[in-house]
Amino acid sequence: MLRDFLERTRVRFAVRFRWTSRPVVAEAVRGFSATEADGVWHLQRGMARLTDDRQRAIMLTHCLEEECHAEAFALTYGEYADRPLTPAAYERRDLYPPDAPPWKTFAFVHVGEEEATSRFRYLAEALDDGPLKRVLSDVVRDEEGHIDLTRRMLVRLGASDEQVTRELVRVRLVRAWEAWMRNGRQIIDHVATAMLSGLYFLLGPLVARTARRRLEDPLVRYDNNAVKSLTP
Amino acid sequence: MKVLGVSYGYHDSSAALVVDGRLVTAAAEERFTRQKHDAQFPQFAIEHCLKEGGLTAADVDRVVFHEDPHAKFSRVLATALAPFPASRLEFVQSMKAWLGRKLWSLDTLAARTGVAPEKVRYLGHHFSHAVQAFMGSGFDESAILIVDAVGDWACTALYKGRWENGRPIVERLFELGFPNSLGLVYSAFTAYCGFSPNDSECSTMALAAFGRPTYVDEVRKIVRAVDDGTYLVDQSHFHFANFYKGPWTQKFVDLFGPPRRPGHKLPFSSFGPAGEIDADSQRLADAAYAIQVVLEERVLALAQRLHREVPSKNLCYAGGVSLNCVANARLVREGPFQNVHIPPDPGDGGTCVGTALYVDAAEGSATPDATRYGPYVGSRHDIAREVPMLDHVKPEHVRRYLKRGLANERDFTIRHNTFTEESSLIDEVSKRIAEGQIVGWFQGRGELGPRALGHRSILIRPDDVALARRLSRDVKDRAAFRPYALAMSTDAAPRLLDVPLEKLGGLRWMQVAAHVREEMRDRVRAGLHVDGSTRPQVCGPEDDPRFHALLEAYGRRSGLASLINTSFNPSGYPIVQSPVEAIVMFLRTGMDALVLGETVVWKHG
Repeated sequence: MLRDFLERTRVRFAVRFRWTSRPVVAEAVRGFSATEADGVWHLQRGMARLTDDRQRAIMLTHCLEEECHAEAFALTYGEYADRPLTPAAYERRDLYPPDAPPWKTFAFVHVGEEEATSRFRYLAEALDDGPLKRVLSDVVRDEEGHIDLTRRMLVRLGASDEQVTRELVRVRLVRAWEAWMRNGRQIIDHVATAMLSGLYFLLGPLVARTARRRLEDPLVRYDNNAVKSLTP
Repeated sequence: MKVLGVSYGYHDSSAALVVDGRLVTAAAEERFTRQKHDAQFPQFAIEHCLKEGGLTAADVDRVVFHEDPHAKFSRVLATALAPFPASRLEFVQSMKAWLGRKLWSLDTLAARTGVAPEKVRYLGHHFSHAVQAFMGSGFDESAILIVDAVGDWACTALYKGRWENGRPIVERLFELGFPNSLGLVYSAFTAYCGFSPNDSECSTMALAAFGRPTYVDEVRKIVRAVDDGTYLVDQSHFHFANFYKGPWTQKFVDLFGPPRRPGHKLPFSSFGPAGEIDADSQRLADAAYAIQVVLEERVLALAQRLHREVPSKNLCYAGGVSLNCVANARLVREGPFQNVHIPPDPGDGGTCVGTALYVDAAEGSATPDATRYGPYVGSRHDIAREVPMLDHVKPEHVRRYLKRGLANERDFTIRHNTFTEESSLIDEVSKRIAEGQIVGWFQGRGELGPRALGHRSILIRPDDVALARRLSRDVKDRAAFRPYALAMSTDAAPRLLDVPLEKLGGLRWMQVAAHVREEMRDRVRAGLHVDGSTRPQVCGPEDDPRFHALLEAYGRRSGLASLINTSFNPSGYPIVQSPVEAIVMFLRTGMDALVLGETVVWKHG
């Protein structure tokens, strides 16, 4: 309950004070599209580890749905953006080592669906009428079904109730830790910006002239055409 | 010797494995991560290479990186500081990326591959392109031309290469430095026309066909020819150092007018007149035309200068600009070289192949390889495993998630048939294509490079413009001004193309544009650009027996062994890699049939 309240407040705050221009909204929508595409990628990695054709078919349908959402967000991006949609650049990584049981992947997917659904729901509530609100409402309707589906998949894939509960708690902790780390990185990023800005004003007056002269010379005068070794 | 080539950090990360002089495999990271032009560390591509070679990291003798991070850092630093005090944001942003990550690329490479640091080698960026162009060219000696956006310091470079006592020797002749870059200027015009730079330069090239010579003289002044065959870029039109300000200056806008507005649809069609052309669209096409013409002139002049220094019959050509098939055509047609070689992936993504082959040969391989390698060196998949799953897919679920704009009232079932006889498979597929179906064709190993060449392709008959429009609308989300390409059998090529096959030489993988004979144009209208040109893939049985057989079978039905061949990817995504990705696209879009190896899957009803 508290978590929901905090998330809803955070989303409202963001919409009210940060989503003040169309490019900012466009960037957020681009992120939603990339997140949905990321979901497709994880589902397909998870599918590769399943052996039951029926289960694989269910996951395939799930992929179709997520891809549909990614497309809907990509199209909505065009309504807000002033430049073409550029491909996402997420660092992809497998959620579990190859020898982990396949159901564990779906524990991650399940928690991801839960979090995305609540975020999208709060956003749809906070936004005024418009293309993004409509897309978010559609996506939320689909995603609510996913939450049940992925939960059922965990059991179908052989996990006991107890294992499921334990894994979901672990995944939520991992995701909370990652969110904490992301926040930490943002703080470090601000500190780095301040330090590098200082360095810029220290270094700039000393070397700007040399740098300009170097760029004005059309020829590359040193020969960097050999195979070199990392170690001496 | 086992050599792993790796490129990453800017765009098109990739990895290649060479064992005893032979290219075992090469693949782009984007195919594994489904993120177009993925620049991240190519973890999955490396894993694929090791798996394909049956190796572990401990077995690898050399890991080769495609650029010199220290040299590149010096350029980035100079670029960020030169506009002081107006470049704080650029400096901060660049330094975060470089000090945090990119400067340590070589150590990262050693750590993440698990290969000992003393086995890590690296080459300057343009030297990588030079060996990429020369290795696998099949030439004993050659002039080498490299033109791209920017590597470390160079943007354009001339080399010569030869084999001596079984070892390759590649020597630098000349390098033109940043910011004098044909690639960057072309990318700036790409952004100006409203396309994504570093991705949609092909759209600028396609748009140029609708342009008029209004701005050519202006662009000639901006990219000014120098007597020695090189060029200089008038920097007052660009913000190559202040990238936060956008790529062009106000002076550029004063000259060419405002850039393309968001949402402005370009009313051109490669199939012919598509309605009234507004002044803004024509202006953008004229700008695209101008940069295309000037790019061709400068590349030609560079080739002529190179030929004066290296009077060889042979030219090896690489770098991102060598993906411009219209300029390549002019180089082949009017250039001083008899034989031109452009590798299957001449951009940054292909450098991992050339550098691995070169280090293998230069550092003592007993069997260095001078022969040409083809594009079919990507990953392979167990297709048979995926087919039974289709029996459990419910069409009513599929219909809910069709591509936007596709009518979902059509009732269909998903059926499949696996053929044991090759000839029956080919006959069935050629029949479907002849009937006007849109067919996904997924076979064997994926292609290296940005072009689908009959292993991850979508195929249709070439004479049906309405079908091509349906392909653009219901499958590819493709702008109407971008033309499709033709695949043709070796026998059909002389009937279709007005350039002799021997002039094309090894450029059979859509590397050059060629005009189709006037009298044949109606028969392949859907695969032509508005000027009657196409990007031909010329396929013989030695290139790909099954695809060649399909072309021939279609030829027996229609009288012409040629098909439209376009890449198997949804808009905004890389070419599909796995059968599951192919199935997802087949189910969601307006494709009628999908051929997975020996199995034909179709929507029935």
